[in-house]
Amino acid sequence: MDTTDQITFMRRIRTALGHAPDIARKVPELFADAPSAEDLQLLERIRQRSVAERQALFAQLVEAGKPLRLNVTPVADEPAAARAVLGLIEAKSPEWGTRKSIAAWRHPVIDGLQLGPGLAARDIPLHLSDPIDPAADPACDQAERDRQRAALIESFIGVTSADFCMADTATLVMRNRPGQPRSVALVPSIHVAVIALDQLLADMKELFALLRWDERFRAEALTHYMSFISGPSKTADIEATMVHGAHGPREVHLFVISG
Amino acid sequence: MSDISTERYTEEARRGIADPVLRKALAFLQDRFGRGTAEAYRRLPEGPELRLEAHRIRERAIDNLDVLLETLAERIRARGGHVFFAATAQDAVDYCLSVARRTGVRRVVKGKSMVTEEIGLNPALEAAGVEVVETDLGEYIIQLAGEKPSHIIAPAIHKTRHEVADLFVRKLGIARTTDPPELTQAARAALREKFLTADMGTSGVNMACAETGHITTVSNEGNIRMATTMPRVHVAFMGMERIVARLDEYEKVLRLLCRGASAQTMGTYVSFMGGPRRPGESDGPGEFHLVVIDNGRSRILADPRFREMLCCVRCAACLNVCPVYGKIGGHSYGFAYSGPVGAVVTPLLTGVNRAKDLCQGESLCGACKDACSMAIDLPRMLLLLREMLAYGDPAWGVTPAGRLDAWAYKGWSWLIRSRRVYEAALRLGALGQTLLPRSRGMIRRLPPPFHGWTLNRDLHPLARETFTERWRRTHTR
Repeated sequence: MDTTDQITFMRRIRTALGHAPDIARKVPELFADAPSAEDLQLLERIRQRSVAERQALFAQLVEAGKPLRLNVTPVADEPAAARAVLGLIEAKSPEWGTRKSIAAWRHPVIDGLQLGPGLAARDIPLHLSDPIDPAADPACDQAERDRQRAALIESFIGVTSADFCMADTATLVMRNRPGQPRSVALVPSIHVAVIALDQLLADMKELFALLRWDERFRAEALTHYMSFISGPSKTADIEATMVHGAHGPREVHLFVISG
Repeated sequence: MSDISTERYTEEARRGIADPVLRKALAFLQDRFGRGTAEAYRRLPEGPELRLEAHRIRERAIDNLDVLLETLAERIRARGGHVFFAATAQDAVDYCLSVARRTGVRRVVKGKSMVTEEIGLNPALEAAGVEVVETDLGEYIIQLAGEKPSHIIAPAIHKTRHEVADLFVRKLGIARTTDPPELTQAARAALREKFLTADMGTSGVNMACAETGHITTVSNEGNIRMATTMPRVHVAFMGMERIVARLDEYEKVLRLLCRGASAQTMGTYVSFMGGPRRPGESDGPGEFHLVVIDNGRSRILADPRFREMLCCVRCAACLNVCPVYGKIGGHSYGFAYSGPVGAVVTPLLTGVNRAKDLCQGESLCGACKDACSMAIDLPRMLLLLREMLAYGDPAWGVTPAGRLDAWAYKGWSWLIRSRRVYEAALRLGALGQTLLPRSRGMIRRLPPPFHGWTLNRDLHPLARETFTERWRRTHTR
């Protein structure tokens, strides 16, 4: 569905490059249809990674997180993670209002924490970001989105998991999907993420090798929206003084289940 | 088109040099980021040579721009996004205005983007009755102050905390404080309200990836993530050159971009956006628009001598090492892009004659080339622009800017081609210089038209005896 703007635009570029202006070019070698030797090596390295090597990546993650003010804590199992998250919710106070409420992803890891009862006992509302039913009519659809948005805006902590975490830069990688919206890791003042040790990757090279060539991840690839998050929001725009908490979360806490 | 004031370079540069606050801020910035970036390149596993590899990647992308842009557009459209190709700044602005009108937009939150400065988006939206809010803290400060950005990455570097405090008291009605965390918190509160009530968010594009069909943005504050997540419409603007073919190539370019911009190994937020909200998703914009902008870039593309400039990713590393930028500041450059990158790109985009002072003001020291994350040979292109200005260049419509350069070199060439003429000239000079004012053996002032040379430096006088004469005297019998 080329439109006039695109046709004239491409004609100008092809003329500038010295090609025939009206013939769309194909340059298949620009892209790749099979993994390179380096990609295969990376995939193999990830597959072969031992527990000890994962522990080493974890140590690297902790170090890389320090200057970014990313708080990384190892936890033994899901109940321990849940206790840690509840402890944090208890210790922190809201930035914008006085009442505490929590937003959380619909995600196997987060569901496994079973935060519901613990929060109910403390009389803290838990807003789960359920997928919007695509079969519903558009008006209901909008109403449900508005409801979730309002609940999110009043939540002071957002709890998510992640797809991966890159150890060398202390970066959480999230591919957003129905039930796992991007705003839970953005709008609340504090972001809490819970992941498992085997979600750790060494670096961006490994991540992209997986997303491009591993059958488990290829189909979904980057989704419509993928985000990298490396620590809390920050700015140095006033006299180059570093301040944490510009527009995104002021604190990020990462719990790694190392069981 | 946005305001262009490149003609006022000399005047603005004088003002910059005379401003002690600006000089101190720039010295601090250059000391910190200039060194930090060099160190960050050294610490790369591949070493600084990765810049050469990135240069090749970017060159390959530019050489195949048509294929990459069509692939990107196709992938984004397949996800329900819109892609518009804007030949001019006006086309880009008009497209955004039509989207705003159609969707009933009253408030726009902007993620920091130099290309929207280039096309003059803010005044156009405001003229259409839309409220435009810059959300990067630095951009927000200068928007409140009614100024223009003075650095690509640190737009409010020229303002002190005291000035920001006074501004916030006046505009935000807060109690006066000069504490950066408290000032930041005041802006955070004011802007949160704007993010949550805006109808449209706009952003630039740091780099797109054709293979996956995503645009990406990098920010530390999270304002771009907010602006592209909370409003119901997202319009992204990208210079047409900001694309690479594959994800593995993107990886290398991103690592260098973060290091060049702020000596970071990774920006706090990197977002890959490939379309609007999907069915079943509870957040994200319902409409996603990408505006790809030419606005003079295809002319640069058509000239092999300048095509290299399109490899630039606007990381601003060159600003952080440039001795000229470090003294005069960004406002002198009179357009969205300042420093060495501005000195090359602004003349090419806005007219070489009009912006002639920009390339003539640079020192050609070469620091920008060493700092460039994409290893672009900026000094080569600065020289080329000067050559065009000396001799004229019909292809670019450049007329010789004053014949002085051309005449001077013609005269010099005549002078040095004959031994006798050259020696006569030296003797004449040796004689003439006795009339010039001296101090401690140095010439203090040259007569017009050469007096500019001695404004800030003294000149060694010509020796009483030339080397040849001395050689003859001491070595011939």
